[in-house]
Amino acid sequence: MTQNLPEIPDTPVNVDVIAHSNFLVSTGATGTKFLTELRDNKKIMGIKCPSCGKIYVPPRLHCPTCFVRMSEWVDLSGKGTLSSYTIVRYQEPYMPKEPPFAYGVIQMDGADTGLAHMLGEVDLDKIKIGMRLEPVFKEEREGSILDIDYFKPSS
Amino acid sequence: MSTEEKQEPEFIQFRYPRQVTYHHALGYQSKFANGLKQGRILATKCPVDGRCTIPPRIVCPFHHVRQTEWVDQGQRGRLISAFKINFPMFNSRTGELQNWENPIIAVELEGGARMDGWCAEMDPEKLKTGMLMEAVWRPEEERQGRADDILYWKPVEE
Amino acid sequence: MAERIAIVGVGQTHHKSKRPDVTTAELCAEAVERCLEDAGMQMKDIDHLVMGSFEVADGYYSPDKWIIPELGVVGKSGLEMQNVGTTGGVVAAASFNSAATGLFDAVLCLAWQKMDEAAGAFGRGGGGANEYWTGQFPMSPITNFARRTYAYMDRSGCTEEHIAIVRVKQDQCAMKNEYAQLRLGLTVEKVMQDVLLAWPIRRLHMCPTTAGAAACIVCPEEKAKKVTNKPVWVEDWLTCHQGGALTMAEDPTASTLRYACNVVYKRCGITNPLKEIQAWEVYEPASPAELRWIEEVGICEDYTAWKLFEQNKVGIDKEVPFNPSGGVTATNPIGATPVVRLVEAVLQVRGDAGEHQIQGKIERALATGYGGQGENVIMLLRKSL
Repeated sequence: MTQNLPEIPDTPVNVDVIAHSNFLVSTGATGTKFLTELRDNKKIMGIKCPSCGKIYVPPRLHCPTCFVRMSEWVDLSGKGTLSSYTIVRYQEPYMPKEPPFAYGVIQMDGADTGLAHMLGEVDLDKIKIGMRLEPVFKEEREGSILDIDYFKPSS
Repeated sequence: MSTEEKQEPEFIQFRYPRQVTYHHALGYQSKFANGLKQGRILATKCPVDGRCTIPPRIVCPFHHVRQTEWVDQGQRGRLISAFKINFPMFNSRTGELQNWENPIIAVELEGGARMDGWCAEMDPEKLKTGMLMEAVWRPEEERQGRADDILYWKPVEE
Repeated sequence: MAERIAIVGVGQTHHKSKRPDVTTAELCAEAVERCLEDAGMQMKDIDHLVMGSFEVADGYYSPDKWIIPELGVVGKSGLEMQNVGTTGGVVAAASFNSAATGLFDAVLCLAWQKMDEAAGAFGRGGGGANEYWTGQFPMSPITNFARRTYAYMDRSGCTEEHIAIVRVKQDQCAMKNEYAQLRLGLTVEKVMQDVLLAWPIRRLHMCPTTAGAAACIVCPEEKAKKVTNKPVWVEDWLTCHQGGALTMAEDPTASTLRYACNVVYKRCGITNPLKEIQAWEVYEPASPAELRWIEEVGICEDYTAWKLFEQNKVGIDKEVPFNPSGGVTATNPIGATPVVRLVEAVLQVRGDAGEHQIQGKIERALATGYGGQGENVIMLLRKSL
């Protein structure tokens, strides 16, 4: 607590500083191929490690286990099994959909990893782990993971 | 012979535009901000060597002792350095990108502390180190305890 | 008792202004692949990773979550840190500290920056937005150097032409470095006619924005000798940050570089820096900074370095072999840059710098990292134990 110049108060002051950002994110050559296949061919692809044989989706350049470059692309059916999920009920800026919506990890057929995405065409209280799902693509696609609109229960 | 044009490879990139407002608590420096609102420039003074610092600090960074004495630095100072920017930068009060017409200067105040501010003399060629400058304030009702409560420094005749 | 440590491998990407062909994680992996190859090691030989970049500029927090799987270092121990321009320097210092404990066989030091993705990083009122006061001014590295250079020129007799001569020398060195980004073939006239950003700083005086990464591997003594027959010993290092306000930058006695060098020289018994250190890679974010740094590392008196350039005494094969790689003015992936300086200094000591190699035996090299507010990290390398 300051003692002198008492005519100038110590009352706390807060200052607002407004910051803008407009960050650009590169998807790289590997990411670009995955996204162009979504956009142009409505196809979900994985990539296979030449050393351990694991198939990753979404694809990446290096195998996280072996640290070798991967270049063998694999067609996937797009179908998968729901391995976990949650229902998002709160609103925050920059969300891909209006809440409430279901968001989970879909273990993809033919791959060793799951893909995180949203679920649709299903009652939120009828979702079960283990459900069989398939992707529904948007009509207008731009080369984004959201070109897949959602995963719906498959017959 | 192929007549196709060579195509640049496509690389997909995304933009994430964001605007964030930070609310900074000034803490010990609140007295300095309140001083600005009253049209006064305060600094903390080191009990060991008498050096005054702006922005004020609870502890002297050189002698590691508490600084509890505040000293009014007066309204005048001598020019130390100056620059003028020729490209737009953000204004933190408005959040807008703008051109900055006034040079930005550092002055050494009568009390010994140094501070940054804007300069009324628009031509950097006319600025010389050691020139005497005086603070020109924003109207009292507009002051918020921000750096630009001092609108600019203007040269004074000696 | 601390272990003696050496750098056994280095790697850097070919620095470019844009790398849309890779993600940030893939850019890091490129530098790491080159580094492992240089050391003749594999990822399984690494047991500790120290990493960092200037996160605000890249727009991520906790990028380790993304980069670690790309590198295949899951399951190894590690640290992540940043500090604006000295990020690579503190990452290197922490790598040295980690290796010196003797707890690890091989420490991988990685720093990166992908500035084609940065946008409005300096929009927060300026790069000097470390507290509310500086954040309210349109401060940035450009303006910081403008004000310092103005004060320097005012006091020393240095003219705009001298600064242009510095820029041309930097470019001549960069032309001999395949990894450098800006290799322009500059002339003094071209520099003096370039766009004025903030008097006296012109666009060409400033470092570029770069996408690049750099890595090195640090081992304790016994392991280092097994891995390579050309270990580069890390003799000493020091981080030194400056408190106070930006206005202190005009005061040469408040220099963190000078302070750090004095401490390290004393610890290592160096009394004549120019004679006892044969290679210098000192982080200069703008051409005029090189003048100040030459003085502050103790090569000449304050306010006289511009005369050395007038007398053509600075260059790869000259009396003052300062920044033979072309320096930061040619290449600046901010967070990575101090590690790039370290990599270049290691190459000089090993005799592997190719066209920009300083001739003669390089017994000692000094590499530094610098941050816009006056932070400094210095790293002293040695050829023999």
